Amino acid sequence: MTAAARRSPKMMPRSPGVTQLGTRLGTGLAMLAALLSPAAAQADDLDALSLADQTPQTEVEQQSWQFFTEGMLGYVNRKEGQSDIHPSRISLDLSVDYRFNAQWRGVLANRFDLNRVDLKDGQGSQHEQINTLKEAYLSWQIQPDWLLDAGRINQRNGMAYAYNPSDFFKAGALRSVVSIAPASLRENRLGSAMLRTQYLWEGGSLSALYAPRVGNGTSNDAQGADTGSFALDFASSNPADRWQLAWSQRWFDGFSPQLILFKEAGSAPRLGLNASWLASDALSLHAEYSGARSRSLAQRARQIDGEERFYSRLSSGATYTFPVNLSLTLEYQYNQAALDKAGWQALGQQGAAYGRYRSLATREQDNPTRHNLFMLASWNNALMRNLDLSLMLRRDLVDHSTLHWLEARYHFKRADLALQWQSQQGSATSQYGAAAERNSLQALIKYYF
Amino acid sequence: MTTRSFTMKRQALALLLAAVMQNSLAAPATTAQDLLAASDAIRNPDRSFGLNNTLIEYRDGKQIDSSTLAIYARADSKTGQFRNLIRFVSPQRDAGKLLLKNGNDLWFFDPSSKASVRISPQQRLLGQAANGDVMTVNLALDYHASLLAEEEVQDGERQKRASYLLNLKAKHGEVTYERIEYWIDRSNSRPIKAKFYSSSDRLLKTAYYRQFKSQLGVERPTETVIIDGLDPKWITVMRTSDLAYRDVPESWLQRDYLPRFNPEQAK
Repeated sequence: MTAAARRSPKMMPRSPGVTQLGTRLGTGLAMLAALLSPAAAQADDLDALSLADQTPQTEVEQQSWQFFTEGMLGYVNRKEGQSDIHPSRISLDLSVDYRFNAQWRGVLANRFDLNRVDLKDGQGSQHEQINTLKEAYLSWQIQPDWLLDAGRINQRNGMAYAYNPSDFFKAGALRSVVSIAPASLRENRLGSAMLRTQYLWEGGSLSALYAPRVGNGTSNDAQGADTGSFALDFASSNPADRWQLAWSQRWFDGFSPQLILFKEAGSAPRLGLNASWLASDALSLHAEYSGARSRSLAQRARQIDGEERFYSRLSSGATYTFPVNLSLTLEYQYNQAALDKAGWQALGQQGAAYGRYRSLATREQDNPTRHNLFMLASWNNALMRNLDLSLMLRRDLVDHSTLHWLEARYHFKRADLALQWQSQQGSATSQYGAAAERNSLQALIKYYF
Repeated sequence: MTTRSFTMKRQALALLLAAVMQNSLAAPATTAQDLLAASDAIRNPDRSFGLNNTLIEYRDGKQIDSSTLAIYARADSKTGQFRNLIRFVSPQRDAGKLLLKNGNDLWFFDPSSKASVRISPQQRLLGQAANGDVMTVNLALDYHASLLAEEEVQDGERQKRASYLLNLKAKHGEVTYERIEYWIDRSNSRPIKAKFYSSSDRLLKTAYYRQFKSQLGVERPTETVIIDGLDPKWITVMRTSDLAYRDVPESWLQRDYLPRFNPEQAK
C-alpha cells in the first residue's frame, strides 16, 4: 500500500453501509479515471492550483504559553458490597516557556484540579482541590552549548514507554492522578527543586544536577507530604539530598546510548542505562535498565534492615507501525527488587503488610511484582478523520491480573472530546484485582485557549 | 596558405568540433546533476536557516485541517544533507512539540511529559511534518539525476515553461521517495513541478512550486501545492515564510537537547 493510501481514511478497513459503499465506489472510479487519463489529471492539477489561489494568507505566531481546561464526568462500578460512585473533575493547566533575552529563559508549569465524588443515590459527596506546581525555574544559557538551570524542574530520565527504572525522580512525584495513561503520569507530577547544568558537544552531552533535601519528608513513605490544597509540597519532591550525572554519546549514526549515575543520601549509587535502535523503517526498539545495591521492596515497606544486594530493573520493548496509521508497542518489564510469585501470594494473606507494600510501590511508581507486560495500540485517524483510538493493556505476569484501558478521542480545532473506559480483573489481592474499582467510564472535554 | 597549414587548421577545427560534440554528448549526464544542485540552491539557502511552514489541507474542495511548523535546518558536515529541528506552532494542542530529524534518526519530544520518543520513518509519514521537512531536502545528495526530456510544461502559475525533465533515482534506501520526476526551468533552474513515486513506482504525490519571491537574495518558491497521487481531491497548500539565516549549532541536533530547545535561541 502506498503512503497516499496509508494516509487516506477512505482506504481504511471498516464496515461500510450501502451509502458508504456507493460513495467509496464512486470515489474509486473517479480515482481510476484520474489515473488513466492525463487530461483528467491535468484538470485535477488545475483545480488544485485554483484552490491554492483562493487560500487566504494567515499568520500564526509562536506562543510562549499554553493554557487548557479539562472537564470530566465519570461513572465507577466498584466491587461487590461497595456502592458505585460518580467522579467529576475540572482542571486548569498552564505552561509558560518565556525567553527574557538571548541568555535567560523562565519556565512555569502549574495545574489545578477540582475533584468531586458523588456517592450513588445522593448518599453524599466529597470534594477536594489540588494545585500542583509542576515546574518553576530559570535557565541561563552561559554559552550556546553550556546551560545552567535553577528552580523546580521535572527531571525525567528514560526511553521506555510505561515503566521507567532509570527515571529516578519519579518517586513521590505524583500529587494528583487524573489518568493512568503513561503520558499523563509523566505530565502531572511534581518537579524537584534542583540546580542543574548541561554541557553539549557534537553527538553528546553531559549533565550534572544536585537536588537538596527540603522539609521533613522521607523517601520511604508519604508521612511528610504536605497535602494542603496549594502546598508546594517540597517534602514529597525533595525528600533527601540527591545528585545525578548523565552522559550521552553517539557511537554511530542512529545509536546514542545514555549512562546515568544517581545517588541519594543514605543509599548506594544507582546505575541507569538507556538505548534505542531503529531496526527497520517501521520498527524501533528500546531498552532501559537500572541497577543498584539496596534492600528489597518488601524489606523497605516493612522498614526492616535486611541484607542489601544488587537488584536490576529492566524495561524493554518495540514499537511497530502498520501502514494503516496503527502503532503497536509491546514492553516487557522486570523488577528484581519486587516479589516473586511465592512472596506475592504470601504477602496477600497479610493485610496491613500488603497495604504498606502496595503503598510504597505506588508512591515510587514501581512494579510490585517481578514480571509485567505492557501493550499499547494507537490508531490515529481511525475509522474517520480526527478520531484517535488507543487501547492499553497492563498484564501482571506473576498473578495474571489485567488492566484494560480504551480511549476514543476526537479532535476539534481547539478542543478534544474523549471517552475512556477502564476495567481491572484479577483475584482479590492481585495487582489489578485489589482495587475497589472494577469498571469505569469517563467522558472528557479539553479546551485549548 | 600552404596545404600543410590548411590541413593543420582543418585538424584543429575537427578536434575542436569533436571536443564540443563530446562535451555536448556528455552534457545530459553531467548537467542533470548540476541542474538538480542548482535547483536545490534555489529551494534551500547555502547555510543554516529557519523558516515557518503553514500547511492547509483540503479534501473535495473543503478545508479539513491546517497546521504551522517552525523548521530549523543545518547541513551535515559529512553528507551535506540538512538535518531538521521542527517545532509545532499550531494547532494549539500540538504547540511546542518537537521533531528532530537526522536522516532516519527521528525523535519526537513532548514538552508537557518531557518524553523523548524515538519514532520510525513510517510513523513520521503519518503526520503533516512529512510534507514539511521534506521540503528542506537537498535532492542532489540523495538522488542520481538523468535527463529524460526537454519539454514545455505548465507551471504553478498556469504558464507554459520550457523545461528540463529530470528523472531522479534514489542513491540509497533512506529516502522517502524511490523515484522523482522533476521539471526544472531551462532559463533559470527554478523547480517547476515534481512527481514523487514509491518503490513500486506508484505516484504518491504531485507538487507545483510557485509564488517565487526574493528571499535571502534569491528568487525562491514560497508556496508548494501538493496533490495526492491516489486521491487528486486531497490537496495540501504549503506556504513558507520568514526564511532567515539561523545559527543552529551542531550540538543542538541531538535527543538530549530537545527539552531545552526554544526557537528564539536560534537567532
